[in-house]
Amino acid sequence: MRRKSRRSGFVAIVVGLIVFIRTTSARGFQMHMANELLSVPVAVGTLGAAAAGLGFVCHKAKNIITSDKFALMGIMGAFVFAAQMVNFQLPLMPGTSGHMVGAVLLAIILGPYAGAIAISAVVIIQCLIFQDGGLLALGCNIINMALLPSFLGYGVYRVFAGAELFRGQIYTGSIVACLVALVAGAVLVSVESAVSGVLSVPFYTFLFTMVGVHLIIGVIEGVITGAVLLYLRQVRPDIIAAGTANTGRFSKPVAYMTIIAATVVIGAGISHLASSLPDGLEWSYAERPDEPDFESIVSNQSPAVTAVEDFQSRYSVLPDYTIRSGAFGQKATDGAAEAGAGWQSFAAVSGSAATMGLIWLGALALRKRNGVQNAPRAD
Amino acid sequence: MHHAQIDRLSYRASPVHALDARVKLICVLVFSVFVISLPATSVSILACYAIWPFAVLVTANIPIKFVLKHILIVSPFVAVLAVSNLLYDKEVVVAVFGPWRWETTGGLLRCFSICGKFIITMTALVGLAATTRFSDLLAAMAKLGVPHLFVVQLGFLYRYIFMLIDRGYHVLRARAGRKLRRLGFGDEVKTSAAIVGSIFIGSIDLAQRVSMAMQGRGFDGRFHRLGKKRIAGADYLFAAILALYIVGLQFLGRVFY
Repeated sequence: MRRKSRRSGFVAIVVGLIVFIRTTSARGFQMHMANELLSVPVAVGTLGAAAAGLGFVCHKAKNIITSDKFALMGIMGAFVFAAQMVNFQLPLMPGTSGHMVGAVLLAIILGPYAGAIAISAVVIIQCLIFQDGGLLALGCNIINMALLPSFLGYGVYRVFAGAELFRGQIYTGSIVACLVALVAGAVLVSVESAVSGVLSVPFYTFLFTMVGVHLIIGVIEGVITGAVLLYLRQVRPDIIAAGTANTGRFSKPVAYMTIIAATVVIGAGISHLASSLPDGLEWSYAERPDEPDFESIVSNQSPAVTAVEDFQSRYSVLPDYTIRSGAFGQKATDGAAEAGAGWQSFAAVSGSAATMGLIWLGALALRKRNGVQNAPRAD
Repeated sequence: MHHAQIDRLSYRASPVHALDARVKLICVLVFSVFVISLPATSVSILACYAIWPFAVLVTANIPIKFVLKHILIVSPFVAVLAVSNLLYDKEVVVAVFGPWRWETTGGLLRCFSICGKFIITMTALVGLAATTRFSDLLAAMAKLGVPHLFVVQLGFLYRYIFMLIDRGYHVLRARAGRKLRRLGFGDEVKTSAAIVGSIFIGSIDLAQRVSMAMQGRGFDGRFHRLGKKRIAGADYLFAAILALYIVGLQFLGRVFY
């Protein structure tokens, strides 16, 4: 059992790696959290937190972003989309190509507040226009991909790159900043989905997969960010200099504080989950099919997951399956109830299909009677 | 461009297009909450939840095939995680559907549940994007209390995305025309950095020109709109139908089980 869980974890990591790199090289950055991986309390909580964070950032940025800078800010957001298209061949991985994400680059050049606003707008447009990530997951995505990378990336860059005198400093600063910022976002994705309890993938396997993939993406992002910063310093030093004079930047002590605060928050989240969710190895101790009387050593129910499951079970409608009676000492199922549930499911699906068919036919008939109206609106 | 299609669809005319953007935005949000609050044990009820977005798309005359194709493009991340459930949740369960009954694993049902919810909530979101002009969505956000600074940021961003993406295509085509062999990683990065850097500089110059032109015409940081849209009877009717539909589904699920 232990060997099996390790093997399947490994398979998941490899498959995840290949698919991630393939999809990220094909189009956009695909770490967008989806509605379906979140529970309602987590989605609503993160939406509230993101709204509060964005409100705070907008309030702070009011003095930095005056009306003459509105166009600049918007175009910088649009620049991210164009920059994400520029792909390049990756070493050691034939056939795959990487591209930059741009969040840390914008934070370094524009400052963390302006950068966070620009990238948050990008995330919202990606959701509303390109449908990357769901509407309810928007809070998670803004926190993971905009607020956290901007502030953390900027803070780390300030600490490592300092006055940006040498090439090595810029490269070190940008690589470490991108690594920290992207990995922190990836950690949050796994924490959010673990707290939601929708996925049955063990927390550690998901965490290691996400972190592993984002270590690679982070290094690539850091290298290209450093190269772009060096290019800009060479060709238009005034842009970098203008950025340094920006009042939206914070000093080294504040940068240290940001990093410490982020470490504490993420560390606390992981240790909380680590204490309540067993990893792949521990799962094998949680149940012993060969010994029905075996008492599990580790509990696999964290208070957060239990609360979420309670919430969902209260609204549970039409469950489609029953647990098989037998080896695990589960309750035996009642045949009559099972047959009834089966017919209800059948009625739900066939009734829905019939309703959709009727709607389709009705619309078709109406359209035929009125003639198709696809002309643009007059207003 | 693929995404320009959604933009074109949003300029059509239909009863759904005519609804207030605020109402549509809130309805999609509420509908998504009810869909994701369904537990992994309920798969067949998802078919009932699919009726709403389907009806909206059909009423708005949005091609269903286009919507499904679009959802397929954005699905890889969710698909990987949904399929990974098969590896971890191997609890044997009995699934019953009408006269059929078969033994399967909890992971497979979880996988179905996640994919089903994804398709339904995404269809609702595409329905919103394809029936609402982005300028209307921005006005709705402003009325719902999103900070002015952020609404203006979204407006400018949307205005220039497609322009800069086109510029990106031009530069990439130029690179493809000049780069006749594979370069080493160092050179690849250097070339790409120069391309990204030049797009960045081009964007800043563009921003300065736009800003000067707008200020020359009296732009003071506010977007002025013609006419104030109010929530009308049709909007209340739309929201009421959704409310009845959701209450009905909850009622059906509880009474008949």
